[in-house]
Amino acid sequence: MKNLQHSTFTLERRSFGARTVERRAFNIECSRLKIFFLILLFATFRAPAQLPPQLPPGGLIQLQVAQPPVDNSPLPATATAVFDPPAGRAGEKTFYRVTVTATEPSVQWPKKIAAPAELKFGNGARGQMMQLLGNRYRPVTAFTYEVRPTAAGRFTISNFVVNVAGQPVKIPAANLEILPVNSPPSPAARELEVEASATNVFLGQPVRVRVLLPASPGNGIEALREVQINGGGVMTDKTSVRQAVETVNDGGQRKPAFVYEATVTPIAAGPLQLTAQAFTAGREFGGPVSITAPVVIRSGPPRYDLLVSEPLELKVRPLPTESELPGFTGAMGVFIADKPQLATNRIHVGEPVRLRVAFHGVGILSRFVPPAAPRSRDWQIIADPPPATGFTLIPLTDDVQTTPAIPFCAFNPAAGEFVDLTIPALPVTVIGNSLPTQLPAFDEAENQSASLKLSGLAPSPGKMVASLQPLQLRGGFIALQLVPAFGFLVLWQWDRRRRFLAAHPEIVRRRQARRSLRKEKVKLQKAMAAGDGKGFVQHAAEAMKIACAPHFPAHPRALVCGEVLAQLEDPRGAAGETVRKVFAAADSQFAGTPQTPADLLALHSDVMVVLNQLEGKL
Amino acid sequence: MRRFFLLILMLAMSRAGSGRAATNDFFASGITAIHNGNFLDAVGGFQKSVRQQPATGALVNLGLAEWQRGHAGAAILAWEQARWIDPFDERAAQNLKFARMAAQADEPQLKWFEAASVWLPPNAWLWIAGASWWLTVGALMLPGIFRWKKSGWLSALAALGFAVFLFSLTANVGVVSRTNIGFVLKKNAPLLLTPTRTGEIISTLNAGEPVRRQRTRGDYCFISSANGSGWIESKAFGLVAAR
Repeated sequence: MKNLQHSTFTLERRSFGARTVERRAFNIECSRLKIFFLILLFATFRAPAQLPPQLPPGGLIQLQVAQPPVDNSPLPATATAVFDPPAGRAGEKTFYRVTVTATEPSVQWPKKIAAPAELKFGNGARGQMMQLLGNRYRPVTAFTYEVRPTAAGRFTISNFVVNVAGQPVKIPAANLEILPVNSPPSPAARELEVEASATNVFLGQPVRVRVLLPASPGNGIEALREVQINGGGVMTDKTSVRQAVETVNDGGQRKPAFVYEATVTPIAAGPLQLTAQAFTAGREFGGPVSITAPVVIRSGPPRYDLLVSEPLELKVRPLPTESELPGFTGAMGVFIADKPQLATNRIHVGEPVRLRVAFHGVGILSRFVPPAAPRSRDWQIIADPPPATGFTLIPLTDDVQTTPAIPFCAFNPAAGEFVDLTIPALPVTVIGNSLPTQLPAFDEAENQSASLKLSGLAPSPGKMVASLQPLQLRGGFIALQLVPAFGFLVLWQWDRRRRFLAAHPEIVRRRQARRSLRKEKVKLQKAMAAGDGKGFVQHAAEAMKIACAPHFPAHPRALVCGEVLAQLEDPRGAAGETVRKVFAAADSQFAGTPQTPADLLALHSDVMVVLNQLEGKL
Repeated sequence: MRRFFLLILMLAMSRAGSGRAATNDFFASGITAIHNGNFLDAVGGFQKSVRQQPATGALVNLGLAEWQRGHAGAAILAWEQARWIDPFDERAAQNLKFARMAAQADEPQLKWFEAASVWLPPNAWLWIAGASWWLTVGALMLPGIFRWKKSGWLSALAALGFAVFLFSLTANVGVVSRTNIGFVLKKNAPLLLTPTRTGEIISTLNAGEPVRRQRTRGDYCFISSANGSGWIESKAFGLVAAR
């Protein structure tokens, strides 16, 4: 690889011309620097006043004062063991306190302490703090047990050995003097008190817990250090700690006390027990403390005693999930949402727009969890980092006409219900990115020709169709094809019938005879109704001839009486007689003395019988 | 009976007339909106007009409004639909040529029988097939039925009808095949490996790119395009012969 470093040798042997150019360049650089510094000088007049960085009280001290180192020298650990108070009455509470000058993990503390049977051991606590000795911090670990003597007498917990960082350390013996029950009362053991702003709470509901150390007789007050609120299923928020010395109600008596207040959030449902532990620290107040009560702060070295409290029970109820609203992020409390404000309501696709939403709360606001950004197909939604509650919205399409509604709700523990705080949709106009409507065009010789452009608007709807779906995919057209198919089928059937009748002409003749016979019968009835005897016999004879003609076959007019009689079943019977009479009457019309109409009309029923008989043979 | 038929005929005519009147109303509202530069409302008006009764003019104008909104895919689809109704529509052809050049979109690659089907409107091929078939059947059957003399021109007519029928059959197959051609509506539409929302993205498709639908599964369609095959969301593309 080529070395890009310049050799200093060439710089030393620069030519005269190069020096002149460099001098000019240097002069230009100098003038530029002057202008730059002038701008800087005048810029200070335009610069706004800068606020000093806001540091918490005590933070400046931490920055300015060098922190003493932790004493990790291999000095042998020492231990003390006492009863506090060392004397009392039977049944009264006392504490067995052991202090070891070592870190807590290095002490292998026994699970059970050998003690007289009259001493009932209760709950124990352990804690570690750093004690300032000279210019070094030294760790101190304390073990505290609640002890209740059941009988009077002098009791001793003998010395025993524990292993501290691999070295045996002797815990000295401690004595306790117990007087009978009816003896005068002795000073009570010092212990912490725990109070909660609410003891019947919902899961996740923040609770303010106060740890109190009442003042000693003479209103002497001591600070507390390394305060811990113990208990499974709770989460302590140490960012909202408040310390004060104020007057409290202690068993109906108002007295000053050191108060340590923190927010505790239950994270498990059911009954929970809280206890507090802390080291007394004399006048070593850590952090800001507001003192509003008349107290005495004693001088002298502090005494680091690990104090504990009686347990406080919290009843934690689960949230009514059956009535949970969409968008629940765990926000607990009473909140009010302002009307959301959109930076602008006319944006382009892909252009971010700010949505500002402000929530106001009543009470503890530390547990407010802002609404989460929902997923949307048409919007990219980016939530501001908590605790901010705004959003950045980016439209992905111009089809949208409103911003997305952002579901959100909070649980109101006082009312025991969820409150809908959904951020409503706001009307917005999203403009799409326009496309070109004209393009330059070039011919084969790469010369610019008439530009390509879109057509104008169509002035009328133009050619219409019922549907874009083609007829090929619809059943209607197939059904339509059945019409010509049916027509051809009919034609084919007609042709077949015609051919059949051509082969069987007697069928046609019989059909024609039946048709003509029906007509003659009508005429016969008319003649009968009119009393026309002459016409009656004429039509009767004609009808008989028509009915018999297909059997020969012959034209009806060519037939005579004998041929009609030949078609009768019994030519010599009554029917034959009737035929003869009819034909005789018909022929006699051409005679000189025709028959009377009354005689001829009397043949009506007989004629009909004959005609029916003949028609039956057709 | 005659009165009944007359009543039905009048009802049908009035229904067709009212539908056409509504179509014209939507078309007019779209024209007004596009003149006012309100392309969103114009698209709405033309879409309603097309939904009422598809027409070439309404589709051409719908494509112009969509193009002005920046929706190249929707514009190309509208103009393709106009050409589907009337292959001789010059406005649609001109706009398609322009849009494909501006949006760098390809034309659909048609098979030979599909290319033949483009010559006439889709329904015309079916009418031609039906008419030529029955002409052939008639030319073969009617002389026998009516006992006409056998003549050469009748045989020639039957042969011609059958030839037209065979050709129109291929064009009809092409029409049916073209009903699966669609165009990508959204810009950078993802082509997925699986028909799921979280499916792996194979590639992205440009707006207006032609695709061919193979099969459908739920809200996704398996399509093939010049960029490969894969699953695409049904809403991300539109078929030319949409229902």
